[in-house]
Amino acid sequence: MQVWRSYWGLWGLVFATTAFVASCVGKVSGGRSGEGGGGLVAEATVSRLSHWEWEQTIRELFGLDGLSISLVSDPLSGKAFDNNQSALRVGPALWRDYQAAAETVAERVTSDATLLALLAPVDASRTADERATAFIETFGLRAFRRPLVASEVTARRALFAQGQALYPELDPFVAGVRLCLESFLQSPYFIYRTETHEASRDRSKDSLSDWQTASRLSYAIWHSMPDQELYRAAEAGELSAAAGIHSQIERMLDGPRTAASVERFFEQLYDADQYQHVQKSQAKYPDFSAEVARDMHAEFLKFTDNVYQLGGGLRELLTSTTSFVTPRLAGIYGLDTTTLPVPDADGFSRVELDATQRSGLLTLSGFLAWKGTDSQPNTIQRGVFVTRRILCQPLGNPPEAAQGASFADQTTNRARIEALTGPGTCGAGCHGLYINPAGFAFEHFGAMGEYRTDDDGSPIDASASFEFEDGPASYVGASQFSQLLGGSLQAHACFSSYLLEYLRGREGGPEDAALVENLARSSLAGASIRDLLAAALVSATTGTELTTGVEL
Amino acid sequence: MNRRHFLRGLGGCLVALPLLEGFRADGARAQGTTFPFALFMRQGNGVQQATSDGEPERFWPSFAPGPIDSERLAADSSRALSELAVHANNLSIVRGIRFNDPVNACKHSGGGNQVLTAAGASDDDCNSTLALGESLDNRITVQLGTPGDEPLTLFAGRKTGYLDEVLSYRGPRELRPAERDPFAVYQELFALSQLAPDEFSRLQLRRTSVNDLVREDMLSLLARRDLSLEDRARLDLHFTSIRDLETGISALTTDEQVANLQAAASHLDDDAFIESVVKLHCDVMTLAVASGAKRAATLQLGAGPDDTGYEIDGVRQPSFHQISHRADVAGAVDLHHKIDRKLLGLFKYLLDKLAAYQVPEGTLLDHGLAVFVSDVANKFHDYENIPYLVAGRAGGFLKTGLYVDAGGVTNNKILNTIGAAVGCTNTEGKPLDDFGDPSLEKGFITDLLAGA
Repeated sequence: MQVWRSYWGLWGLVFATTAFVASCVGKVSGGRSGEGGGGLVAEATVSRLSHWEWEQTIRELFGLDGLSISLVSDPLSGKAFDNNQSALRVGPALWRDYQAAAETVAERVTSDATLLALLAPVDASRTADERATAFIETFGLRAFRRPLVASEVTARRALFAQGQALYPELDPFVAGVRLCLESFLQSPYFIYRTETHEASRDRSKDSLSDWQTASRLSYAIWHSMPDQELYRAAEAGELSAAAGIHSQIERMLDGPRTAASVERFFEQLYDADQYQHVQKSQAKYPDFSAEVARDMHAEFLKFTDNVYQLGGGLRELLTSTTSFVTPRLAGIYGLDTTTLPVPDADGFSRVELDATQRSGLLTLSGFLAWKGTDSQPNTIQRGVFVTRRILCQPLGNPPEAAQGASFADQTTNRARIEALTGPGTCGAGCHGLYINPAGFAFEHFGAMGEYRTDDDGSPIDASASFEFEDGPASYVGASQFSQLLGGSLQAHACFSSYLLEYLRGREGGPEDAALVENLARSSLAGASIRDLLAAALVSATTGTELTTGVEL
Repeated sequence: MNRRHFLRGLGGCLVALPLLEGFRADGARAQGTTFPFALFMRQGNGVQQATSDGEPERFWPSFAPGPIDSERLAADSSRALSELAVHANNLSIVRGIRFNDPVNACKHSGGGNQVLTAAGASDDDCNSTLALGESLDNRITVQLGTPGDEPLTLFAGRKTGYLDEVLSYRGPRELRPAERDPFAVYQELFALSQLAPDEFSRLQLRRTSVNDLVREDMLSLLARRDLSLEDRARLDLHFTSIRDLETGISALTTDEQVANLQAAASHLDDDAFIESVVKLHCDVMTLAVASGAKRAATLQLGAGPDDTGYEIDGVRQPSFHQISHRADVAGAVDLHHKIDRKLLGLFKYLLDKLAAYQVPEGTLLDHGLAVFVSDVANKFHDYENIPYLVAGRAGGFLKTGLYVDAGGVTNNKILNTIGAAVGCTNTEGKPLDDFGDPSLEKGFITDLLAGA
């Protein structure tokens, strides 16, 4: 949890709990980052494209595919999303990669007459110089996401003219295009989105140009460059007005390109990519295989997409019982493979899961298996994930004494967890209030996510009480717990803050408290994810104008 | 190095990427943009240190083991290690290291066998012995790199056909050949070796032209007054990266510099060029680790017995090997000491490069290690008190600013320490503590461990 959240009175419990709990959470500014907020100048004005954004942008710029290009991975920042600017730097290794990538792309494009003609159409009415200038201006606008200034055009015309000498084996025009493409793709104006505030020194006014607004919208929604319609709107000056922005947001959200971005949001927020790497004991789970792990990942994507497409919100993510299974997954859910509905093209059948057992994404096989050891449920990891990622409840790091601690010989998983971390142990604080209660809700699920009615012959106890910020709540089992989460303002606020973070590429600050609360209350009241996106986008695009009242 | 691949897999042909083939890696581990690395520079013939027959001590510090700083090391000017005074804060001087296998053969051979392997030597004839285990540069590359990676194995000086390469082993008895030509190494590193000289020259010209324009763009962006400090720092790093990759390697950006590098290739057997070649190798090693192309490299100065005639006091001297044995060379003790200083000066050149190279998380020296070793100890070529100078912190794993007496332990412990610092592990997944001969006592030089 970040400093800025302490400004939100609803979360006062964080300060009101006992000293022991305070030591559990460490400083209140801990949680999932803690370093993001705290300053009034929080918004980056220069944002490097994430690798995914870079890739999307190259595809869009050239209609290009099938190249083998590699970029050195960005550091693992511990942040939820890979577009978080705090980790995106250009060091020597990445610069070398950018250089190589630019040369490769330029070579490919200029070696393909069709691709080249798209960038620099042949026009018999123009001289070669005029054609070169037209190419520089039109491509430059798309690459830099704004019109080039005169000096930039002049500089690239000079570079274009060197083409013949530096690529003597090529046609002079092709050579000039190739050199210019190399320079465009290595320019900081391509690698970074730049949002400077020349018109106003007052950051709170967030005075973006229409071109910058087009880029911000495009990278927030699509994580790629603006399309022609956005460029048209920018050129027409329509993005200086709220109505123009609203209109574009609606158009973009309704378009086909948004789904991939939403999918990526869910995948990163819930670390679902990890599902593919799950491994299980062959002795205990002989049917488990890498294919099962991949099915789990695909199931998650289909589940979240279904919720999104049907206009669901966070509550539905946490409570829906509609899922998608392959025959390999069916057994985990106790489904009869012979009666599965007709599968989709990917081999997944749409099914309704037993609502007494399952409720939402936390009861899907992927999450439960990922947060399981090779043969046992991993109660603590399940609890930690829910506490941090669903509720944004800060937790400190485990004490050193916990490193290497091993379970005793109690008969049930729950008894072993309690013996290690329960009352009277050093872990009683964090575990007693948050981690263990959240984890115990899933006691009915084994290491592969299968529902179980006993734990090696002993009865299962899935009852617990979780210390939500607005008070404790008791439940029995994952379905009840997920229902509680779906009705928790804390969970909706957590989700809303992550949504904003994803759209902006940075964590929020104190100035976002009102907006987050507004979004959270709307989400709790039933707003769809799409509508939350629209509201958050309006704010992310227009700055502080709408932070005091987003109408959904 | 972990790289993510883009723009592939949706059909269309797969176009080879000409400049990255040399260091592409799928599925490798990664945590950041700069990876811990280890570079080893090796001196032959031992250093001029005190011996049982009364030779004076002129290598190790005159003060007792403990903390060191630049001022203290510089003030110890009679000792060769004062050459590294400016890097004292980044340096740990380790004495009290020995080789385990006495090797009943020629010391040069056995020393080279053991210095980076901590393995025994084979029982072949004198000067034909081979290490019975892999060297640490190999272990680092194999364990931390991508399958198929090879460490960078470099050599400066004349080969004599008599105990030439001695350092890098793929495994027992598998001595790895070294590359002497820094230009060839550079071309190989960046997959340019297939380019004809004129095409290479044109590539450099194109990059210079493009970079000039990119630099203009960057400067125009940096000129904006409304950039936040954080954004400015981010762009500065980017700008520095462009500049360093152009000029950090002190060649390759102009025709003249390329010509110099190419010229060195025709003087690899000329003692007068050895220092230039060493520096070019240092440039290439720096670039290799900065770009993530390599995780480990060795640079051997001279052959097993280094017969280079170094220039001392403006005079080309006789063979260093002769000098080291005090064989009919007037003033040999002084000359040996001065050669020690010269070679430490070349190590300082490498440290200067690494320390000046900014990467996102600091300097290269903050993230990796540069190690200077002599594969025999002194004029007798003993195996006791072998010098190991360890510079860098490997991302905070090691302490620096220390003069340590390890107390006569076998060299597997210093190699364990170096290997663990850059991320190597034992079979249990714990920090590497069992490198080399399995009969040796496991463990580290604990005084060097930041967490100790």
